[in-house]
Amino acid sequence: MVEAVKRALGKISVEHIKLELLGTAYNSSSTFLGRLDPRMLLIWYLFFAITPWFIYNRTILLGMFVFMVVTTVLSKVSPYIVFILCLGLVSQIGWMFLLSLFFGGGAESLLPMLTLTLKLSVISLASITVFSSLDPERLSDGLSALGVPDAFAFSLSYGYRILPTLLEEFHQILLSFRLRGQRPEKHGFLYLRTAAYYLRILVLVFYPLMLNTAKRSRTTVEALETRGYTYAVNNPKVKKLRLSYLAMHRRDWLFVAFTVVYISLLFPLGAAFPNLLY
Amino acid sequence: MSTLKKRYTLTQSQKMMIFVLSMSLYGLSNMFTELIPSIQLGPIELSVEYFAFIPLTLCMLFHPLYAAVGAAVGEVIFGELMLGQFGGLGELEKFITFSLAMYIAGRMVSDPKNRRQVGIAAISGVAIHQFCSSVIDIAKVWVGVEELEAVQGLAESIVIIEGVGFLNDVLFSGILFALLPTMYLVPRLYGKIEPLLGMKPRERTMQYASGSKSWLSPKLLGGAILLALIAMGAELLSESGWSIGEFELPGAESNEGTLIWISMLAAAAVAAVVLAVILRKAARRRQEAGQLDG
Repeated sequence: MVEAVKRALGKISVEHIKLELLGTAYNSSSTFLGRLDPRMLLIWYLFFAITPWFIYNRTILLGMFVFMVVTTVLSKVSPYIVFILCLGLVSQIGWMFLLSLFFGGGAESLLPMLTLTLKLSVISLASITVFSSLDPERLSDGLSALGVPDAFAFSLSYGYRILPTLLEEFHQILLSFRLRGQRPEKHGFLYLRTAAYYLRILVLVFYPLMLNTAKRSRTTVEALETRGYTYAVNNPKVKKLRLSYLAMHRRDWLFVAFTVVYISLLFPLGAAFPNLLY
Repeated sequence: MSTLKKRYTLTQSQKMMIFVLSMSLYGLSNMFTELIPSIQLGPIELSVEYFAFIPLTLCMLFHPLYAAVGAAVGEVIFGELMLGQFGGLGELEKFITFSLAMYIAGRMVSDPKNRRQVGIAAISGVAIHQFCSSVIDIAKVWVGVEELEAVQGLAESIVIIEGVGFLNDVLFSGILFALLPTMYLVPRLYGKIEPLLGMKPRERTMQYASGSKSWLSPKLLGGAILLALIAMGAELLSESGWSIGEFELPGAESNEGTLIWISMLAAAAVAAVVLAVILRKAARRRQEAGQLDG
């Protein structure tokens, strides 16, 4: 137990997390999926985010899951993100299962849980695939082409742009806090002291960070206004000009065609073998 | 002092500044809280749910509406989309309950220097949000799992899990990461952070100009309950695909599916329209009233 905590703490350093997050957010345009049309990808995602809820056939779900795994591999997602996802799914389902055992359930309550897990995994993998393979520029353009309010589309691309800067600044402040502070002598029971120390610092860091970010957001908004942001948002011509580069190429059509064929083959297969899995 | 109130409204860009500030700060903190491992003591889990003190602080110092919505957007963008954990329509419920709770907490504070008021508002904000999401989660499983009785003990275990989760979030996360930091930050930041955004600090002892003297205006409460119901409806409809251990009649699937589809879209549309109307109304009221805090 203590060993495990030690290992986990060793793995989690701010620097490491920073690199992982940046990798997730920016490893986009080099992948196959990153070059596809964002509007098409977003519609594709919507399909896979909504339909699994209404499918009860486990074979079809399994087929979708396999497809999602392939696309996730194609989008070169960082393993760390996948790990977090798995951890969340497993712990949620695991606790439910354990508790229902406690109340007199049995292994049969695990199977329905498994179906649910399958659904959730398909949905999460679809979102990882799409949102980690589109670069922010294309993503926000795709969203605004599909009619999402411009404020949201802007926030998204701004978020991606500002994240490295924010992380850098956060890290600097954190380090200066650690330089001035003193780490607890002993780790305490289950590293509780150390954890408490770090959590306290984590909260305190936000005091200077709030002031810095306030200054930065003012600069951002002023820069936006000098370039006529509000005018551009309210003017349909500007939007048209900005989105004129979006077009469906042959690879987009191929991707759509493949998905359609695959899914339409899945349904008869699922009807024929409903209990392929269990 | 004359009894004339100074008219002072926020400009479009100041609203945007508050939005951007709240979004980026809370988004960043959300990334960390997503990654902090939780300590499991049996079924009880001590986890850092979220750094609620950031949106709470900003809602108390600035205009609560823009700070609250900004924080909710930040959570969706940084904590969900960037980490690839976006849950689709189910996020709508979280978005609405969270921004609503933060907004109410912000409205409760009239004097940012008054620590008692700030503390009460902070813990109430967290409690409102957690209570809403717990109730929704329980209802989700009870309604969504049709053959609930077939799975022994599932119903009880859901209530227990949610109850424990609620207590953990309010007592552990709520006190450590909402109450204490907010009480520490709000009086300190008051008067320091507003000039950085180029605006005047909120007037102390200022009451909101929304008719009644208290923060609990009937309009706010009515709107809150309505929104909560809508959020719940949207959530339930998006989850009603949960059919655990159920054997479908052939052909029933497609019909049921289309029905659920239609109702889901309707719920989403209604929620969107209601939100838009409320935002519009609030904006118009503020313009007419020329409130002190914009």
